[in-house]
Amino acid sequence: MEDLLKPDYGVLVLTVCNFLLLVYLLKKFAWNLIIGGLEKREQQIADDKKQAQDARAAAETLKQELDAKLAQISEEASKRMAEAVKIGEKQKEQILSAAKEQSDRLLAQAKAQIEAEKNKALADVRGEIARTAVLAASKVVQQQMSEASAKSVVDRVLEEIKAK
Amino acid sequence: MDVAEIIAHHILDHDWGVTLDGLRLPITTHSVTLMAISVVLLLGLSWIARLGPSRAGRLLTTLMEEYVSFIRDGIVLPNMGKEGKSFLPYFCTLFLFVLCSALAGLIPNMKTATANISVTAALALCSGGLILYCGLKFHGPIGFLKGFIPSGTPGWLVPLIFPLEVVSMIIKVCVLAIRLFANMLSGHMVLICLLLIIFVVGQMHIAAGAGALLPAMGLELFMTCLELLVAFLQAYVFTLLTSIFAGSVIHTH
Repeated sequence: MEDLLKPDYGVLVLTVCNFLLLVYLLKKFAWNLIIGGLEKREQQIADDKKQAQDARAAAETLKQELDAKLAQISEEASKRMAEAVKIGEKQKEQILSAAKEQSDRLLAQAKAQIEAEKNKALADVRGEIARTAVLAASKVVQQQMSEASAKSVVDRVLEEIKAK
Repeated sequence: MDVAEIIAHHILDHDWGVTLDGLRLPITTHSVTLMAISVVLLLGLSWIARLGPSRAGRLLTTLMEEYVSFIRDGIVLPNMGKEGKSFLPYFCTLFLFVLCSALAGLIPNMKTATANISVTAALALCSGGLILYCGLKFHGPIGFLKGFIPSGTPGWLVPLIFPLEVVSMIIKVCVLAIRLFANMLSGHMVLICLLLIIFVVGQMHIAAGAGALLPAMGLELFMTCLELLVAFLQAYVFTLLTSIFAGSVIHTH
């Protein structure tokens, strides 16, 4: 059993050579390819990650810009709305005022027209009354007066009516 | 043949007696096992590294990339920093070599080469060489030697501290060899002893031997599972400690 701790220098040297040769050959034929592939994949992942982060940052910036624009548009819209309301109020007052003015004018015109119609109707009534009176008078007088006297009476009456 | 002889026969290395012009060549069971492992690793990994983008190829390549990531991010970079990146192939090979050497013992008719002090000493020697190379590469001969003196050490203590630190580093490397050797040896000794229980008890009485069969086999199975764990653990510990020692000479206090 004491042989367990007795080193075999031949095996020791052979193992060192074997191991170092294996390190060299594996580095040349396997590890460089595997590590290269791994680093390439990691680089690709890092690039993709960076690209995604850049895209996210760009999207964030765009979102902020859009938010700012939206806020600006909203403010502008509120402002314009207030202006529109103000203009609407003003126009409403103008329209009301114009309508009132027009209605007053139409009322005055209507009143004047009514007055004119009334005067005309009164004149017509007067004429009719006169004709009727003359007709009535002529019928009364027809039996008592001559035509000449009757005509003078009628003329006189007409003159009086005109004078009135 | 007594029990000690049986155990020794199963654990000790066997010289195949190959000579060249009267010079004895170190062709032993353990050295042949190691060479076989090297050939299998070389062919296997070279094949995996050149696999195309087929499904199996992607699976094996991804598996190897994960392994390299584990060695790089779990062992090399935390202990050696970015300077250790150029030594990544060494550590990737070391871990697999130690692991396969330990696992080979679980295959029938093969032996655990790392249960041989010459093999573990050789691996520790390589690690010691790597530590020395790192020290000389990153600090130069003077800087490397200065690294053995902790900062703030009074001048009169330097002659005492310096040899102590040098010896400490040598001991650390030696302990690497002894730890791996002892762990692998003890595990295999326990496995053989458990099997021998059946025969020893059977020699006393055949019925007792038959009765000892099931418990002994159960324990054997348990120990084999434990050996699997120990194989991975020791490969990890050996690789980790080598990177820590190399890192300590790269980043001196």
